[in-house]
Formats: sequence, structure tokens, C-alpha cells
Amino acid sequence: MKKYTAVFKVNLLNSLAYPAEIATRAGMIMIFMLVFYQLWHVTFTASGSLVLNGMTLRDTMWYLLLAETIELGRPRLAKIISQQVKDGSIAYLLNKPYNFLLYQLAGGLGESLPRMGMLFILGGALVWAMAGIPPTFSHWPVALFALAGAWLLHFCFNALIGLAAFVAEEVAPFEWIYQKLVFILGGMLIPLNFYPVWLQALSKSLPFAYMMYGPAQLFVRPTLQLFIQIIAGQVLWLSVLGGVLILAFSRGMRRLAINGG
Amino acid sequence: MKELKFLASLWKVNLASAMEYRAAFFSQSIGMILNDGVYFLVWIIFFDRFKDIRGWQLSDMFIVFGVSAGAFGLAGMLFGNAFNLGDIIVNGRLDYYLSLPRPTLLHILASRAVPSGMGDFLYGFISYIASGQFSLDGLGRFVLALFLAMLIFVSFLVIVQSLTFWFGTGGTITGIAINAMVTFSIYPITLFNNTAKLILFIIVPAAFMGAVPAGFVHAFSWSSLGLMCLATVGFLALAIYLFERGVRRYESGSAIQIEV
Repeated sequence: MKKYTAVFKVNLLNSLAYPAEIATRAGMIMIFMLVFYQLWHVTFTASGSLVLNGMTLRDTMWYLLLAETIELGRPRLAKIISQQVKDGSIAYLLNKPYNFLLYQLAGGLGESLPRMGMLFILGGALVWAMAGIPPTFSHWPVALFALAGAWLLHFCFNALIGLAAFVAEEVAPFEWIYQKLVFILGGMLIPLNFYPVWLQALSKSLPFAYMMYGPAQLFVRPTLQLFIQIIAGQVLWLSVLGGVLILAFSRGMRRLAINGG
Repeated sequence: MKELKFLASLWKVNLASAMEYRAAFFSQSIGMILNDGVYFLVWIIFFDRFKDIRGWQLSDMFIVFGVSAGAFGLAGMLFGNAFNLGDIIVNGRLDYYLSLPRPTLLHILASRAVPSGMGDFLYGFISYIASGQFSLDGLGRFVLALFLAMLIFVSFLVIVQSLTFWFGTGGTITGIAINAMVTFSIYPITLFNNTAKLILFIIVPAAFMGAVPAGFVHAFSWSSLGLMCLATVGFLALAIYLFERGVRRYESGSAIQIEV
């Protein structure tokens, strides 16, 4: 465990070494929140109602903030792992006394944490100014718990896409599709509450809703039933995706050919 | 004329280079078409629920998304280095281009093609056809609008990244600029108030990559065409001016670079 903590710390310090860089990147969330606010403000005004599908404008904006924080702050490991597979540098990581997947997980977490923190602070300040105060603090722990599960699900998808480089020449299209499935079926750009019932059911039967909608909805409108539903879904999909990931990694190792260097 | 021949040669080489990795080229192009299609589902879901946003309906979104994706793809295909000009400047890779007897900016921009650009470009046409507003003269306007929007987008990227000569920032500001242009261009312009609209016409000219060309495709008007031409000339001139001024400040690090 100590070695993974060390990897986590190194990546964390590495990210924190350039605070201006993190802040500038995090500034992107302000652009998105500004646009979202315009869209949803006009939508709520046009409807003449303060509550649409159980959400107020304030709920919608804080939901979208958490969803954007997850999307912009999640690990970007697919490209890194696929590059390591393609250029052979994976060989330098495999002969070290640690588990390759846990090493990536610890490193990714160290990189994600400061980014997510900055995204939430900057985006939150803007949402607070535009839409109103954040959800009460009692909502935060449940959302944080679900956020951790969501992060792990994103990690599994990223690692699987990265390892796909063992069999595919180019993995970027897989990453684009994964990202867009999270956008749509995860309810990232439009909260799932606004979807037709059949599409909500479809989304909740797939892992994507537990990677975005789950923590975001728990942040604004937590209930015990929803919490149990989200955590159970995350545990289920983590078991499935984690199993597939371990299998894909061991199969990939069998295909690996290292030629001197 | 000489420069057009030069551009054609660069594009030919880029195409040949892409064809060397056919599987990657086709998988990226098809992947990007799917990517854009799935992305657009957001608007289908949104308008299924809310029908109309200040006069904008789903068919308008098809056109605005089509113009935006098409212009983005065309920029990647023809002037792929517009997306990493800042990195080229920061890493001292200008030396190679400066030492050759060709227009530096044109040479840099056209020296690379982004394979997935083909997917975006084709999706632009698919989206236009799917809008239900397809007509032959509309298609002509769509192609013209796409071309002008692409020039404005490339010019904007050059302007933003030329600031690297003064401030030394590379990829970060480019990422923000691209995200801002793409994000603002695919939303109905009627959402924004007058101040925001002014920003979208002058500072981040996303209106010229989405709403204005989409309006022109929808119905011909001399004012839209004039506005787009004026914006193209203005942004292009500013891009060339800033880049040329910046190059005067450029200091080579004498690093050994290999351009392939």
C-alpha cells in the first residue's frame, strides 16, 4: 500500500507544482456553466414554472456543476496507457515491483484530485453567483461517496480503452464514443430527470448513469432509496468492469512482445 | 497561384501520409462521425422535451451543428497545425519553417492534417441533409458558409496562439480557445444577451462558426454574406499581422528538430 501512496503523492505534488496551469484549465468550467445557465434560465422562464421534472433552476445548475467536475476532472488514462502499449514504454513499468493497474490508479487519483477541487471551486463560485446557494452541507458526504464510485468506474473504462491498444491500431475513437455515451446516457449535459421514461430506464440499466447522474443527483436531491440504488449499481458495475479489466490486462500481457531497446 | 500550387502539394502529401495508415484513418473518421452523431442526441432529447427555445427548433440545431462540425473538420483536414501552433512556437520548431523560402504561416498550418477531421467534415453534410431543409442552392450556401467559417476558426486559433510569442503559453490557452469556440457555436444564439452576443461576434467569434452561417444556409441574405466575408477578411488580416509581429520576437533555441 505504501508504494501506491507514494505514487499518489508524487502525482499529486506534480499537479500542484503548476497552480496557475490548473486554474487556467479549470477556467474552462466557467465557460460551460455560463452557457448552461443561459440555456436553462431561458428554458425555465419559457416554461413559466419554477420546478420542471422535480428540479429547480438552482438544482439543475448544481447538478450540472458536479457532472462537469467529474467529466473535466476524471482520469485521462486511456491515451497514456495506449501510448505506453504502442511505444513499448509499458515494459519499464511492468518490471517494477508493483501492480501495473494499481500504479495507474494511484497516479490517476493524484492527478485528478487537485483538478477536481479547482474545477468545483471556480465553477461553484460562478454557479452560486448566477443560480443561488449550493445544496445544504448534509448532502455533500453522500454525493462524495458516490463520486468516489463514479471515479473508479471512469478509471475502469479508461484503462480498458488504453489496453485496447494491444489489439487496435488507434484507440481514440473508442474514447470519443465512451465520452459521448457518458454525455448522453450518463445525463451529463441534460439531467436524466428530463429524459423520456424509457430512456431513463435504459440509462439506469447501463453503467453510465452511475458515473455521472448518480453523484450529481445525490448532491441536489438525496434520498435513502436513491443512495442505495446508486451505490448498488456502482458496486455491480465495478465488479463487472473490474473483472473485465483484470482479464483484459492478463490477456494483453500474453500478447506483449518486447524487442530489446 | 504559386502559393496555391504549394498548398495543393502539401495537402497531397498529407493525404498520402494518412493513407499510409489506412486503418487508423478510416477508424478515426468513422469514429468521429459516430461521436458527432451521439453528441447530437443531446439536442434531440432536449427538443423532444422543450420543442422551442426562443424561436430555435431542432431543424435549426441540425444546421448549426452541421456548419460547426464541418468547419471544424475542414480546419483539421486542411490546416491541421492550427491546433498546435502554440506548441510549435514554444518548442522552437519554427526554425524549420523559417529557413525555407515559403510563406511561413501557410507552410506551418498546412503541414499537418488531422485524420479525424474527415469524420467531422462528412458529419457536417449528414447533419445538413438530416435537417429537412436540404435544397441544391442551400447546399451551395452550406459549402460557402463552411469554407468561410473554417477560415474564421483557423484565423482565431492563429490569433490566440500567436500570443504565445508574448506570453509563452502553449497548449492550455489553445484548449480553452477551441472549447469556447465549439461550445458557444453549437448553442442557439438567441439564448445570449446583448453583451454576450457582442463577445461572440468579436472576442470569441463563435457566432461566425454557428449562428451566422446557419442563418445564411437557411435563407440567402446579402447582409449575412457581407458580414461573414467582412469577418473573414478582418480575422485573417489580424491573424497574419499578429503572427508576423510575433515572429520578429521569436528567438531560436537552436534545438535539433526533425520534421516528418
